[in-house]
Amino acid sequence: MQKISRRQFLGYSMKTGAATLFTGILAPSASSFFGYGGVAAAATKKITPFTFAVLTDAHLYDIADHKFDKFLEKAVADVNSLNPLPDLLLYAGDIGQSGKEAELKKGKKILDKLKMPYKVIPGEHDYYLDMGAAWRGLFGDEHWSIDHKGVHIIGMNSILVPDFWSMAGLTPKERMGRMEELECHRCGLWGVGDKQLEWLEKDVKKLSPDTPVVIMTHSPLWSYYPRWNFQTYDAPEILSTLSKFEKVIAIHGHVHQVVYNQMGNVTSAGLLSTSWPWPYPPVDLPYPAIKMNRVDPGDFEDGLGSHQVSLGGDFAGEINYRAFSDLLPENVRRGVKL
Amino acid sequence: MKISRKAYPVRTLGTALLVTAALTTLVTGNVLAKPVRSDKQVAEERSALMAAVAKGDGLWHDGKLGSNGLACGNCHPDGSATNPHTFPKYQSNLGRVGTLREMINWCITVPMQGKPLAYDSAEMVAMEAYATFAHRGVAIAPAKDEQHGAVPVFGGPGYPQP
Repeated sequence: MQKISRRQFLGYSMKTGAATLFTGILAPSASSFFGYGGVAAAATKKITPFTFAVLTDAHLYDIADHKFDKFLEKAVADVNSLNPLPDLLLYAGDIGQSGKEAELKKGKKILDKLKMPYKVIPGEHDYYLDMGAAWRGLFGDEHWSIDHKGVHIIGMNSILVPDFWSMAGLTPKERMGRMEELECHRCGLWGVGDKQLEWLEKDVKKLSPDTPVVIMTHSPLWSYYPRWNFQTYDAPEILSTLSKFEKVIAIHGHVHQVVYNQMGNVTSAGLLSTSWPWPYPPVDLPYPAIKMNRVDPGDFEDGLGSHQVSLGGDFAGEINYRAFSDLLPENVRRGVKL
Repeated sequence: MKISRKAYPVRTLGTALLVTAALTTLVTGNVLAKPVRSDKQVAEERSALMAAVAKGDGLWHDGKLGSNGLACGNCHPDGSATNPHTFPKYQSNLGRVGTLREMINWCITVPMQGKPLAYDSAEMVAMEAYATFAHRGVAIAPAKDEQHGAVPVFGGPGYPQP
């Protein structure tokens, strides 16, 4: 596995606005010919195999009987129908669309129908009306870690932007309105911030390098397309802290699409939403074979879905994209190795 | 009048020069053609286009065009996946060859559940200006059955420059 020093890493990520150089350096290219990602080295510590489910990006509106309500309900029903039932569900942010408590409550009501426990992190659409107050009231801490069957699972809030609203005199609603635009012209890049970086450092300090680690953030931990915040500006620091582990599986929401990358010891997978799909941004994918097909705008369920992740005894992972419609090329439908 | 063979080419050339000079006078004197636009006019025309693009940008991200909260920008950030360079083309949701404007109205009325814009309205022109400007430089390719992203945009406060 190619090792990148922290200095190299930071240097590259600062210099390149476009993701191509950055990902080109980090992505081993040979594996992309085969339609799977190159599989990262397995962690040596044995774990008890289990599955977990992942959902993300419901973007619920405070409108009765909205079509997105049904899509989240469908995804929850799908996850509940899995056999074996997943041990837990991870939710990767953006339950709501405009940060309203009513949206988050509606989402919680639907997610509470899950037959397994679930853990949530915030997305920008959950957050910028009241700076996460309602979200924390309903879902608790914005960052957390749990240990399950030998795997250390971390969730972090990756959508914190520097204050762009105070000087501009924006109301909370105006602030939220700007953040609702994916290509927000004035919001800037987001990340986890220094406090969470310090927390992460402490959280993993005592763990041995052979500990299997799963980390969930709303945005990817690599510089994919900064214009749409398909990035986390302090991801290099996060990856540096996690570089001591033999293998890390990173999953993220926000991109509303199938996307895959490898950053040293970290394997990263993006997720389908349950609201709407996004086209691929105008940059090269590091693993172009792992993608979804173009969606049909006339089919509102096309490009949406749920996910099941299986972890083997040696922490060999596989993500199964469970698309609502026939969206996936054969190699992705078979499952993508993590 | 008889013209000697020798003198003929000289006189023809002289006539041609006179005609050219007269035409030049007419053109520069704004008798036959409009003058070349001044830099100021070009700048004004450019700014009129950018005003339409900006108006379109605003409408594109405004949930008020629909009735279920959705805006065009939800699914089409930076106007991406609108493929303006491929129209007119057969659209399965229209069941016939349609224009970008018809597709814009389809999105407003079907996924967004709103009221269609008049095809000749300033709003529709602005919407079309926004989507097309986002694909500036992309080759016209009618019926090309391939998704094209918007032109990469790196500018704006807080965003890395290329």
